[in-house]
Amino acid sequence: MGYVAVKGGTLAIEESIRRLKYERVKKGKVLDVESVECGMRGLIDQVMSESSLYGETLAAIAIKQAEGNPEEAVFLMRAYRSTLPRKHYSRTVHTGEMRVERRISASFKDIPGGQILGATTDFIHRLIDFELMNETEEEAKIWLSAFERQVEYEADDTDLNRLPKVSDYLRAEGLIADCGNDDQEPDDVTRTSLKFPASRSEILQVLTRGQTGAVTAFAYAVIRGYGQLHPTVGELRVGDLPVCIDDPIGRSDPDDAYYIGDVKVTEVEMLIPVTVEKEHGKKELEFDIGYGVCFGQNETKAIAMGILDNSLSAKHPEYPSQNQEFVLYHIDSVEATGFVSHLKMPHYVTFQSKLDSVRKTRKSKTERQEVGSP
Amino acid sequence: MQRKRRTEILINGSREIPARLAQQIAGRYEVNTIEEPNNGLVMIKARETAKKSLFYLGEVFVTECKVQIGGAIGLGIVKGHEPELAYQLAVIDAAYQAGLDETGHWQEVLTAKEHEIDQRRKARQSKILQTKVIFETMDDGE
Repeated sequence: MGYVAVKGGTLAIEESIRRLKYERVKKGKVLDVESVECGMRGLIDQVMSESSLYGETLAAIAIKQAEGNPEEAVFLMRAYRSTLPRKHYSRTVHTGEMRVERRISASFKDIPGGQILGATTDFIHRLIDFELMNETEEEAKIWLSAFERQVEYEADDTDLNRLPKVSDYLRAEGLIADCGNDDQEPDDVTRTSLKFPASRSEILQVLTRGQTGAVTAFAYAVIRGYGQLHPTVGELRVGDLPVCIDDPIGRSDPDDAYYIGDVKVTEVEMLIPVTVEKEHGKKELEFDIGYGVCFGQNETKAIAMGILDNSLSAKHPEYPSQNQEFVLYHIDSVEATGFVSHLKMPHYVTFQSKLDSVRKTRKSKTERQEVGSP
Repeated sequence: MQRKRRTEILINGSREIPARLAQQIAGRYEVNTIEEPNNGLVMIKARETAKKSLFYLGEVFVTECKVQIGGAIGLGIVKGHEPELAYQLAVIDAAYQAGLDETGHWQEVLTAKEHEIDQRRKARQSKILQTKVIFETMDDGE
């Protein structure tokens, strides 16, 4: 069979797209975007983080259009992002300025400022709440009003805008090597293709926009044995970071900057014990920090990023999880899902070519056998 | 009042204030729109705390607008799709750049709103601190 160029399918494709809409609305109910934005915080955070684009309403529209499929929603966000101009770069954001709403440490019970649980699923029983079947907005408003009116039983003057870092405490004790600010301008993987070895800024950028499942799976592999890490969460914090830009035509005076709004992030510092060689060959135990941060409240992803950050800094990679190319090339949602799912698109010519080769090979084998037979 | 402080108040306060202040200016001066409110991105540069190096955290979806009053250019920029607010912020910024008399009267209203935002934040902080763990040391019976 020779190669045949074909065309057609336009009507079928148009009808398929109409059918996709039919599947979304066939039950006669339409999700309003505000409901998605108000009630699907977890999914919105995941989609914003994986698409590397912070916009809650935008993510809610994408989720609605994608019928809740995060892979498709991230694709829509990335596609839209590619149509927008990058107008500014922010002033450097410091996570020490975070307006904290949750902050815990698994390493120290008594941390300056205390363990603040905030909102977390860590302590729920994971039993489906069937009462949600009949929850009404009226009930929710009554609950909300009672929650807001609840009188606090004990005043606490902890300033959540200036919580000290656990790592600073360890640095002061000499348990983490201190270092000065590294002011080298970051590389940008959205502008320049990744080359190996990747710079630290590229590693962090790829990890923070990585697919939650992929980042988590690789980090899990590191802990299970495909790496040499025994990490502990030194500090995990969730909160809002104020974002400002400099006056484009003026001075870069911080007080003269334009505040544009807050972004919610999760930040994690993983503590990893390492043996370091000091003077006269003396060996001492210190801690390394694995750093994780991502848009929204995505705690598992941020912890996993912290593990991978440290794993990828291995000078002599022994495991795939320490190999930059293996990890960084395979964790992007759009790249990974795009490549895998493209396999369902027509490959008629490629496959016919393979088929021809197989047929020819079989035919010549059969002919050789016939010639050689008595 | 310096720009960072006032933009924080205007964005985090009620929508009524930027609308009212911008209206005061638009009703008395000729405001030329140089750049209609349009969407774009701001890339966030962040400093990580392990090696204290810089990296790009991701982009924020913003609306930006530019206006001109006399020789002064005003910029309005805000997270999300907020064309009206971006325009109002640009007008207010231009008013400050041009040193218009009206801006002298805004100090009071902005400071009052700032106080309200602070109170709201303190109340929120107080609620969050209800989730602070108070550890009790277990008595081993000895």
